[in-house]
Amino acid sequence: MTEVTLYHWEPNANSGKPMLALMEKGVPFASHYIDMLQFDQHKPEYLAINPQGTIPAMTHGIRVLTESTAIMEYVNAAFPGPDLMPVDAQDRWRVRWWMKFMDQWLGPSFSMIGWSVFVGPRVRERDPEELAAAIERIPLPERRAAWKKAISGDFSASEMAESRRRVALGIAKLEEELGKRDYVGSDSYSLADINIFNSTYSLPLSQPDLASKDKTPNIMRWLKRVYEREAVGKTWAMGKTDMAARYSLVMEGIV
Amino acid sequence: MAQAVLYHGEPNGASLTVLAALAESGLDIPCQPIDLLAGARHRLPGIAEPLAIDLGIEGEGPVLVIGGEAMTESVFLAQYLDELAGGCGLQPDDPYAHWEMLMWCRQITERLSPAAALVGNLAHSQQAIAAIAADDFGALTASVVSDDLRARWQALHDGAIDAAQVADSEAKVDQAAQRCEDKLTDGRAFLMGDFSIADLVTYSWLAGMALIRPEAFAARPLTTAWLARVAARPCIVSALALANTAEPLCSWAPGPEINRWG
Repeated sequence: MTEVTLYHWEPNANSGKPMLALMEKGVPFASHYIDMLQFDQHKPEYLAINPQGTIPAMTHGIRVLTESTAIMEYVNAAFPGPDLMPVDAQDRWRVRWWMKFMDQWLGPSFSMIGWSVFVGPRVRERDPEELAAAIERIPLPERRAAWKKAISGDFSASEMAESRRRVALGIAKLEEELGKRDYVGSDSYSLADINIFNSTYSLPLSQPDLASKDKTPNIMRWLKRVYEREAVGKTWAMGKTDMAARYSLVMEGIV
Repeated sequence: MAQAVLYHGEPNGASLTVLAALAESGLDIPCQPIDLLAGARHRLPGIAEPLAIDLGIEGEGPVLVIGGEAMTESVFLAQYLDELAGGCGLQPDDPYAHWEMLMWCRQITERLSPAAALVGNLAHSQQAIAAIAADDFGALTASVVSDDLRARWQALHDGAIDAAQVADSEAKVDQAAQRCEDKLTDGRAFLMGDFSIADLVTYSWLAGMALIRPEAFAARPLTTAWLARVAARPCIVSALALANTAEPLCSWAPGPEINRWG
């Protein structure tokens, strides 16, 4: 029996982080696909694993772990395999700083844009009563409010403008960072690369005006280097929607 | 090690966490107090890599400068100091216990810190910020690179604080006290069992709340006793001894952003 089970959606943003970390470490795991667009994460069978109804979650024996970045840190510390944190203390600080910057500042802006153009329109096609019931089942009030906004497309112009400002600034700062070091925060591949790659792997398709060979050569070099990792190929092959197909489209464009 | 200096505000909030972690680590890093409410954090000398100040999440927290690189975010600075000292006992070795500590710290920095900063600033700093002369305030905000941190300065200056946000912040302070109470129910002395960064960061944001919102602690005897235990730790005692004001726990400056989405 596999000791580790990962409950995840697509290899994208938060779900992709522990998927790729486990793959990089060579840790075998049972994959339990949670279809976010069907609200699987708020159904009783999943709430029995993670009462907060957030994805991803991971079980390791009797332990249940949540929060994607913290799960990655656990995976790196608990299992043998290549170390995904740099040795130098200042590099480790920088890796953590970039992960927080993505998780709390830049990521939510990517997410707002992604939900307004992808998740919201997809979900809106469904029966309104079914949707209302699905929203009522969401345990965390913040997530309930977020889903309501996404489903109704209720993002204000100023909120969207602020998200676009942050995405443009975040991409520019990432470009500067990758001009200083081979990888995000250090000269070795780390959890920060796994974290940030999961939210930026399709930038050349989703934000071609901000990220391209001409505008962000350092990001494109880094994306190519990460794309070519065996673990990345295996992880993105686990995707079930056309989000994962963007992987091969980008790969064709940058190789 | 490259040339190092820790710039810090009065020992409260994020500055208290890092000053206490430094004391616990035993490392010899010079400390330089700065006036956060004068915007001194945005005019530090000798910084070649300012990104962590320019786009930091934590607001007006301490800045550790090593070899010209500005380093911010109090939990990560505490981890850095612990690791630089070869492990001074502020982080559990066991991966699961470490995950639990990180999860706790993230709850505190995402939920309690922004809430406590808002409540603390309204109680103790807003008048001082509002009283800054127009030219000086203009120069101060012009030196703040982060648009969203500048907006938090401006909101305090203008008194443009939403009442619902204040109520939400007060509720989050109460919830944090209750989370501590729940954690301590099994008789443990410290939040993770052994003393750790979780105690430092939680104490740093909650101790000042006990002065402003005593009702949050009135029916929570375990949390009140835990606050007293942490206050007696030598690293907290020595950090608080660096204060230049009579009550450092009343010193506040614009803090972290309140989650804007999800």
